[in-house]
Amino acid sequence: MLNPGSGEAPEYIAARIRRALAEDPRTAELGIQVIVKGAHVYLCGTVSSQQCKEELNRVAQEREPTLTVHNDVDVVEAGEPGAPEVLR
Amino acid sequence: MIRIAAVGDVHLGPEAQGRLRPALEHLPEHADVLLLAGDLTRHGTPEEARVVATEFRDVGVPVLAVLGNHDHHGDAVPEVTEALSEGGIQVLEGDGVVLPVDGHRLGVAGVKGFGGGFEGRCASAFGEPEMKAFVGHTIEIAGKLQSALGSLSCDIRVALMHYSPVPDTLHGEPLEIYPFLGAYQLGEAVDATGTHLAVHGHAHAGCERGVTPGGVRVRNVAQPVIRSAFTVYCVEA
Repeated sequence: MLNPGSGEAPEYIAARIRRALAEDPRTAELGIQVIVKGAHVYLCGTVSSQQCKEELNRVAQEREPTLTVHNDVDVVEAGEPGAPEVLR
Repeated sequence: MIRIAAVGDVHLGPEAQGRLRPALEHLPEHADVLLLAGDLTRHGTPEEARVVATEFRDVGVPVLAVLGNHDHHGDAVPEVTEALSEGGIQVLEGDGVVLPVDGHRLGVAGVKGFGGGFEGRCASAFGEPEMKAFVGHTIEIAGKLQSALGSLSCDIRVALMHYSPVPDTLHGEPLEIYPFLGAYQLGEAVDATGTHLAVHGHAHAGCERGVTPGGVRVRNVAQPVIRSAFTVYCVEA
């Protein structure tokens, strides 16, 4: 199934965005899931700060300026832990 | 009981400085030692390593670390290691340390580790030189881990690495990328040395708990997995 906007298979578009998120120094994120559905891109995963999350938008949008990017990425929690696990 | 705090994949940079510090203020109430399981930085630069050093400086317990693939990205491992050391973080790579804890000896040996995959579905040192180099790197590191673990004279022996020694703790990650997330040879090293606990990171979408084929508990402490600044394991001496 080809993407209606670009005439390309969405798998190739997703692969390009994923590589850009890993290799662009602004992001350097290897663990972000990228799904392309029609003219929409969905990003999922976890990053270490709000700024990192926002950079994902910028890099993905630059890579595919005609698509709409939806950023569903979480910023990781950094609170104190719950009860310890006892290993016997 | 020896209380071991651990976290991996904190991926700190200037934009995230201080993020973990509030939780770390109370670390000595929770733990006797803190293990950092690699990917401490985002790009492996000395500047980011200094952020890490500041974050974990004077936390009240010894801090031991291994580096991860992100910490190698900037081709500045000596400078990154030096910056971490200046913050009181002892970086392990093919060596270990024995710490006195409450009348017992806690031994920790560490390596970065590497990929290659797991028994029956793994890469072999065959064919192109690039493939032989890939697998050879894993075999060399696993050998160093086994040697370092075996040389520790201690009551409790812990293996610290970035890549996973088992597939159990990768559940949640796509099966296709398991060979990039760990290698069975690391698990072999853990099983050959009477190790009590193996701790790793790297697999952000994996799960926390697993066990080696030889019955050693494995814990994936990647921060997105444990969802806190650190987690704590109490091991009976």
